[in-house]
Amino acid sequence: MSYVIAPRDERTQPVRVIPGYPQTPWRNPKQPLVKRAPTLSELTGPSNVSRRVQLLGGDVAGHGETQAIGQLLHLRVRVVDEDGAPVGGTVVEMWQANAAGRYIHPNDDDHAPVDEHFYGAARLVTDDTGSFLLRTVKPGAYPVPTKDGWWRPPHVHFSIFGRVWLSRLVTQMYFPGEPLNAQDRILNAVPDAAARERLVAKLVPPTGDPYNALVYEHQIVVRGRQATPAQP
Amino acid sequence: MIPSGEATIGPFFPRRYVDAGANDLTQLEGRKAKGEGIEIAGIVRQEDGTPLDNLVLEIWQADAQGIFGHPADPRFAQADAAFLGWGRAATSAQGEYRFRTIRPGAPEGRARHVNFMLMFSGLMRILKTTMYFPGEPANERDPVLAAVPAARRALLVAREEGPGKYRFDLRLRGEHETPFFDD
Repeated sequence: MSYVIAPRDERTQPVRVIPGYPQTPWRNPKQPLVKRAPTLSELTGPSNVSRRVQLLGGDVAGHGETQAIGQLLHLRVRVVDEDGAPVGGTVVEMWQANAAGRYIHPNDDDHAPVDEHFYGAARLVTDDTGSFLLRTVKPGAYPVPTKDGWWRPPHVHFSIFGRVWLSRLVTQMYFPGEPLNAQDRILNAVPDAAARERLVAKLVPPTGDPYNALVYEHQIVVRGRQATPAQP
Repeated sequence: MIPSGEATIGPFFPRRYVDAGANDLTQLEGRKAKGEGIEIAGIVRQEDGTPLDNLVLEIWQADAQGIFGHPADPRFAQADAAFLGWGRAATSAQGEYRFRTIRPGAPEGRARHVNFMLMFSGLMRILKTTMYFPGEPANERDPVLAAVPAARRALLVAREEGPGKYRFDLRLRGEHETPFFDD
């Protein structure tokens, strides 16, 4: 099975240095990035990361006495490649703030309260259809410590391995209809409006199943497609 | 379909995602990988030279025979089953990372090398680079190293600090900036 990774349309990817995001000018290369033709080394990748890291499951909302505070959500996420083929069996890591906008992390010393029932980290493996289900609460918005009025809108982080080294993806998912989406410096670093829109999940109209959670659907596309078989 | 937009890992990547032992590739599920154990360590700095705390690094490499543990490698059936080829580390408050791994064999058409990825707050995209070993004649013929402007190639070659101990410092921007690849 051979896999092809083609260059991406730059307008669908974020700019690297963002005005108003103070760390970006210090950390992104000044020299031109080096173009290379991918070899086997970049067109292979770890195929069984769960042998090295501990899976944590996809339910981070808790139950009963230990249920997290916040709007209960089911996120139905599907990972596909550029052919639209499901990427099953790949490790996904998700992390997010609690309903008040607070991360459980030593670097988050924000004002917002900790919810002792919410850690906000799921790690699981996609099924054969490339899908996974997260049961969580809606993350809160939070101010970025730039002191100039930048708030991150509610969002969920994803880290996905995909099939090969160059399909590794770190991305964020947003919620529809959030007024802060329009001014977020990270979401709007992607120049193409349609590409930004694809980072926003879709609310599934409630049907009563589940009766107590809002359901969102989201699709994540990792790089790569099957090589066209050579014609005899 | 169009690949999703990347985003920064941000400042709050959960600490528990850098699992204990995830930076040790020399064993897997209690089995020892074949080959010579080596250590790769270094410091990651930003433009002003400040070491970066809690930056996440991942590596991917071939096993001791130069085989990648992935079905696309034609020799996959002979790959070392006790070698995953992947590891993760995070930098300390002093900006230091450390991997224990196996000296990779040279894959077909390549010099022996280790692929690196860097993820961090302020990096909107994963930074990718490749580390080479000093004193390898095959470095001269490696197509990926050859893609790097000649004056910058030495920045991708680790320094040997002792038997099996390599130092590979990374500079994200500025003086001696590490060459990164645009894939």
